Amino acid sequence: MRTVMVLLPTSRIERTEREAIGAARALSREWSANVQVALIAPTAEGIEGLRGRTEASSDVSLWIAAHPQLEAYSPELYVSASEQLITRARPEVIVFPSRTIALEIAPRLAYRIGAALATDVIELRAEGEAVVITKPVYGGKAHAVLVAQRFPLVLCVRPRAFDPFEGELRAGTPHDLQIACDPSSVRTQLVQRIQEDAAAGVSLEEARVIVSGGRGLGGPEGFRLLEELARWLGGAVGASRAACDAGWVPASWQIGQTGKKVAPDLYIAVGISGASQHIVGISGAKCIVAINTDPKAPIFKVADLGIVGDYRAVIPALIAELKRTHAGSSGDRPGSSPEEGR
Amino acid sequence: MRIVVCLTQILDPEMPPSEFRLDPQRKAAAEGIGQLVVSIFDENALEVALQVREHILERKGAPSDPVEIVALTVGPPSAADVLRKALSLRADRAILISSEGWPPLEGAIVARLLAAAVRRLHPVDLVLCGRETGDWHGGQVGSFLAEELGWASVSFVSRIEVEGETFLMRRQSDEGWEIVRARRPAVATITNDETNVPRLPKVRDTMLAARASLPVWTIPELVEDPHTLWETSARVAVRELFIPSSSKVCELIEGETVQEKAVRLLEALRRRRML
Ligand SMILES: Cc1cc2nc3c(=O)[nH]c(=O)nc-3n(C[C@H](O)[C@H](O)[C@H](O)COP(=O)(O)OP(=O)(O)OC[C@H]3O[C@@H](n4cnc5c(N)ncnc54)[C@H](O)[C@@H]3O)c2cc1C
Ligand SMILES: Nc1ncnc2c1ncn2[C@@H]1O[C@H](COP(=O)(O)O)[C@@H](O)[C@H]1O
Repeated sequence: MRTVMVLLPTSRIERTEREAIGAARALSREWSANVQVALIAPTAEGIEGLRGRTEASSDVSLWIAAHPQLEAYSPELYVSASEQLITRARPEVIVFPSRTIALEIAPRLAYRIGAALATDVIELRAEGEAVVITKPVYGGKAHAVLVAQRFPLVLCVRPRAFDPFEGELRAGTPHDLQIACDPSSVRTQLVQRIQEDAAAGVSLEEARVIVSGGRGLGGPEGFRLLEELARWLGGAVGASRAACDAGWVPASWQIGQTGKKVAPDLYIAVGISGASQHIVGISGAKCIVAINTDPKAPIFKVADLGIVGDYRAVIPALIAELKRTHAGSSGDRPGSSPEEGR
Repeated sequence: MRIVVCLTQILDPEMPPSEFRLDPQRKAAAEGIGQLVVSIFDENALEVALQVREHILERKGAPSDPVEIVALTVGPPSAADVLRKALSLRADRAILISSEGWPPLEGAIVARLLAAAVRRLHPVDLVLCGRETGDWHGGQVGSFLAEELGWASVSFVSRIEVEGETFLMRRQSDEGWEIVRARRPAVATITNDETNVPRLPKVRDTMLAARASLPVWTIPELVEDPHTLWETSARVAVRELFIPSSSKVCELIEGETVQEKAVRLLEALRRRRML
């Protein structure tokens, strides 16, 4: 029987990881393969929460490859651990979520095991023996359909493109996999971690509402207005690449092709022209609102609702109106007033 | 110290979607629909290399170990333009690895060719690639190259400092940044941040670069049995390309005053159960 393996270089299973499992499971059903989820982590503990949910009837089995040397992320050790897992399980297809760590190790693993690689995958299906892959190219202006007939095949699936797996995982046999770590292979070393805070304390990936700003804001002050609006809406603040490159907001706020992929219910794009490389990051949004001075801006081609106007007038008006209606209501929106949101 | 920067020529990624066309035969964007430019992250990579050189100069005055920046591209003769761009920004040398007359390139083959060129340029201390190209978004060549060379490798780097025999690299993570120490020699794939926005060339340097003669290395010069490159490379075949359709109609909120527009927008959002 064929095997699709989801490789998760983490001990935290969040939506992005569950989407990778979902993608693998959908493929395996069409392709009559089984799905194995393999975690690479310093210890099998702390993942107990996940194992607690395991159930014998599940069609997805979970393996944990733990080694204390994997405490600090090291690409050399994680690539080697992945390689050892592949050698043991011999999967035809290896699926990674598109996290920065996974995106760093996936191509190195692929090269080492002589596998073909496709990144940024948004659709997967079986066609006889072959696996058919869709991936956006030219910044999302086109989609490419790729056919893989030789295995192993390594895939990185794009966040917010697949339905997350919400089922139970079954403990694999053997439960914990022994892997070897050779510290002498390590050529890179983590020196320091610098955490960047999400605006208004809401993470972009989990946010139901995102207010996002671009070059049109003209400076960092504009983002203070967006933050205030976001707090009234209980949302997060994101940005275009241009706003991040200008240094107005942290790079981790960037949304798009090479930033975060988000799927809020409501996405408000302010002073963002709507370049395809930005739009591919918000294709999961249910409702897109554009606020832009230029009625010809491409953002209006993908928006559901739009206001043509200067954000310096529009955003304060929106905040004022939210304040007014909020004061009139019973005040049942915890955390959504500016004071509580801080 | 020798730094190699790998540059790719791509169709201008900022061209308007309305002018974008496909060539079904070549399974690529149609030729001539837009300008050819240096892929954006490769410009960031060159900027990082220029900054490393400047920092070393500032620190040491006249360094005993001068920094040499070599720009490399694998491509057809037209790709020489990206090398001229690199020279106009004061890369020291630029070499075209000509793929003219060979089948279409793909990541693993480009990596093998770049690795061969890096070996030929020995000693090289640092190789910089973009995190991904702006056309096919492969996100692989830098990592393949590191594997091929067996060097230290760090992905999604925005700044690099030299410290003794090591590099301190600022690497983007999902939550922010990490400082990673990498042994020499190393490969880094470069992402954007506010510190590596590409500078503009001086007019005089652009004119000089336009006249510079560019060495061309051929594929058989670099690898012994070039045909096996294509035969042995693991890859997925491209079946077709299509332009995804979008059929959204934007409801523009009208109003006499901005207050009126704000009220109506919030009403429309409530109607759609967005608030
Ligand atoms: C490989 C690659 C990857 C990329 N990845 C990303 C990515 O992840 N994310 C991303 O965002 N970009 C990405 N880009 C860059 C992208 O192509 C665009 O350059 C970028 O999105 C433009 O940002 P912007 O819309 O803020 O700026 P601009 O295009 O300059 O747009 C500014 C807009 O603001 C409007 N405006 C001006 N003043 C006002 C005002 N007072 N009120 C309201 N509106 C106003 C203008 O009309 C204009 O439409 C990538 C590019 C490449 C090649
Ligand atoms: N033909 C090429 N010539 C030189 N460098 C390349 C070429 N193709 C890719 N690269 C480098 O590898 C990076 C990533 O490419 P890719 O893996 O194709 O997305 C690019 O940003 C370049 O730095």
